[in-house]
Amino acid sequence: MVNVMEVYQLLPKTNCKKCGYPSCMAFAVALLGREANIEDCSPLVEESKYEKKLEKLEELLAPLLSADATETGMIIHTEKCYGCGNCVVACPVNVANDPKGVAIGLGPKSGKAILIVEDGVVKCVNVDECRRFGPEKILCNACIATCPSKAIEFI
Amino acid sequence: MSICTGCSLLCDDIEVELEEEGIGTTKNLCRKGQGHYESLGVERLAPSVDGAEVSLDEAISKAAEILSEAEKPLLFGWGNSTLEAQIVGIELAKKLGAVIDDTSSFCQGYLMEKILKGEYPTCMLDDVRNLADVLVYWGSDPSSSHPRHMSRFSYFPRGDEKRQRGYEEDRNAIVVDVRVSPTVEIAKSGFFKVLPGGDSEFIDALMTALSGKIPKVKDKKKMLGLGTTLKKAEYGVIFPGLGLIYSLKDEIDRLDPLVAKLNEVSEYKVIPMVGHYNMRGFNQTLLEETGHINRVSFKDGVEHGPQFAITEFLEKCDAVVVVGSDPASSLPAAVAKKLAKVPTIVIDPHHNMTTELAKVTIPSAISGLEAGGSALRMDGLKVEFEPVVESGYLSDAEILARIKEAV
Amino acid sequence: MARTKEVTIVTYRDIFQDQEKAKDRYTQEYQDLSALIVLDQSDMKLIGAEDGDLVLVENEWGSVVVKAKLSEEEDSHSGIAFMPNSPWSNQIVSGDTGGSGIPDFKKVVAKVSSSEGDVITLRDLAEQMKV
Repeated sequence: MVNVMEVYQLLPKTNCKKCGYPSCMAFAVALLGREANIEDCSPLVEESKYEKKLEKLEELLAPLLSADATETGMIIHTEKCYGCGNCVVACPVNVANDPKGVAIGLGPKSGKAILIVEDGVVKCVNVDECRRFGPEKILCNACIATCPSKAIEFI
Repeated sequence: MSICTGCSLLCDDIEVELEEEGIGTTKNLCRKGQGHYESLGVERLAPSVDGAEVSLDEAISKAAEILSEAEKPLLFGWGNSTLEAQIVGIELAKKLGAVIDDTSSFCQGYLMEKILKGEYPTCMLDDVRNLADVLVYWGSDPSSSHPRHMSRFSYFPRGDEKRQRGYEEDRNAIVVDVRVSPTVEIAKSGFFKVLPGGDSEFIDALMTALSGKIPKVKDKKKMLGLGTTLKKAEYGVIFPGLGLIYSLKDEIDRLDPLVAKLNEVSEYKVIPMVGHYNMRGFNQTLLEETGHINRVSFKDGVEHGPQFAITEFLEKCDAVVVVGSDPASSLPAAVAKKLAKVPTIVIDPHHNMTTELAKVTIPSAISGLEAGGSALRMDGLKVEFEPVVESGYLSDAEILARIKEAV
Repeated sequence: MARTKEVTIVTYRDIFQDQEKAKDRYTQEYQDLSALIVLDQSDMKLIGAEDGDLVLVENEWGSVVVKAKLSEEEDSHSGIAFMPNSPWSNQIVSGDTGGSGIPDFKKVVAKVSSSEGDVITLRDLAEQMKV
C-alpha cells in the first residue's frame, strides 16, 4: 500500500499553494484520495529539476490511477484472476443482495451483485454497494482473503 | 443458459452471447471454461490420411479399412465424449474384438471403481453444499483444476437448511499437499505439507491419531488436532486428487482402512476429482456392460487386466483409435512415442501432439458446444445438454457410428 | 563442468497453462507456461542459475531444456522441484510402470544444471517422437 509520506517525498515541498492546497502534505493526501491530479502541481510538471521526482511519482501512483481501481480503492488484477468465483460467493453484499443466486454458489441472479464473473475473470459492478465505499467505510476483506491468486487488492 | 464441458463440474449456469466471429461476452465461466469456449475459434483439425488432406468420407473409410485389417486394435480416449458416443465406442470395440481403455487407467481408476461398485461411500455435490462441514482436499488443487468447485459446492456457498452461516463458521477445509498450491492460499490454517511419496506415512499417522494414540510425527500436536477435527465432523467429504493417487501408487489400497476408520468415528464420503468432463460416464457405462471400468479386451469374450492398460498395450497393438484425448502429450514420452509406430486414427476437434503422429485424422464437433448429448458429472449426476453453436462438424457419436457400420 | 543438483520432481496443474492448452497449444504462451521448473532458492544458487535462465533437466529416461523459475514458497524445499504437467515434463517421466499401467508422474528423480541450449518447440517434440 502506498503511504502519504512516500508521496510527499516526491513533491517539491515548497508549499507554494499553486495546486490550491495549503501545503504539499495536504496535496499528497488529496492525491492519494484521488481528489487531485499530479498535473495540478505545475512546478512538478513544468520544472526540469523535478523530472526524476515526477517520473517516480507517476510510477508510484500508477496502480491507484489506473482504470482498474475503483472508488473503493479496489484493484482487480484480471491477469491473475482464476475466475473461480470465491470472491463472488463470499462477498457479504453479494450474499445479502442475491440469496437465490450467489449465496448458494450459482451465478448472480438478482442483478444486484457487486462482484460478477465475466469472460472468465471477475469484474466489479455496482461498486457503491461495497462496504468499503464512502466515508462510513468498513474494512471488509472477504474478497481478498478468499482469492487463491491474490488477484484483488486494496490500496 | 448453456453448459460448460471444460471439466467434470459441468457448470450449467453459463450465459454466452454469440457473435458472427464466434464467442462474445460470457458470464460465470471460470478461466479454464473460458479457454474451452474460446477454443471454438482456434484452427480446427482437417480430415487427412498420411498427412494429406482428404474428404471426411475418405478419412472415415480409411479408418474403417485399417480397423478391419487389424488383429489387435486399441480404442482409447472417451473422457471427452458424450455418453452416446461412449456407447457406440464400446459396441465398436465388441465388433472388432478390440481392447478398450480410457484415461482412468492411469488416473482415478482405483477410486472410481471403489465408488461405482459401492465399496466407498459417496454423495452428490449438492449434499456437499448442504451438509458438509469438513472438507479434505487431498493431493488435489481445485482452485487450479476445477476452479468453481469451492465456490459452487464445497466450501464457500451456503446450504439450503444447514450450513447457512458461511464458510468461516460452518466449514473446515483441510488441504494435504506437497506444495503451497493456490488452494492452500485460501485454507492456510488447515494445510498439512507432505513430502513426495509421503502420503503413506501420513495415513499411518492419521490412523494412529484417530485411534487416540500419539502419532510418530514431528508435529504431534497438529496431527492429533487433525484427528480431533475429523472425528468431530458431522458430515465429512474427501476429495482425492492425482497428487494422492500418484504418491501412493501400488499402495493405494491403504486408503481402504482409512475410509473405514473415518466412517467408524463419523460419517465420511469420497468424491474423486475427475478431470475430463465425462470420464465417470465411460467408467459407469463400461462397468454396466462388462463388469469393469476400464482396460477391457473383447477378443475372447470379456477379459480385464493391467496388460490391457494403454501404457502396456501400446507395445502389442497393431492399430489405435484415439477419441478426444491426447495421450502423446499426457503419457511419458518413452511410452507415447509408441503411438508413432502403430497406425493411429485420431478423432478430435483440434490439432495436438497425437494428431501429429496420426495416420488418419477425423475432425469432430466439440461436445457441449457444437454437439449435444449427455454426460455424468464428477458425482454421477446425469446432465443433458444442447449445442450452443451450429457447426458443420459431426459429433464423435456420429463418426464412430459410421466407422462401426463400415468395418 | 556445470554444477548439477539432483532433485525429486513433482508435476502439477496450472490454470493459466490449462486455459492456453484449451485454446491453442501451439503458442509461445503455452510453451512459456509449460516448459518450466520451479526450483528452491538454494538449489538455484548451487547450479548458478537465476530466475528465467535455461536449465537442463535429465535422467535415464530423457532430457529437456526448460526455464528455471524461482520458488515463491516461504519454507525451503531444497531437493524438491515442481514442473507443470506437460509434454516437456513427460520427457523425463519413467516409461516403466512395473506392469501396473500407472506411470510415476509425481516422484521423478532428475539432475538439474545450467544450460546453453534452447527450449524445444511442441512441433519439434512431436517430430522427435516419430524417429
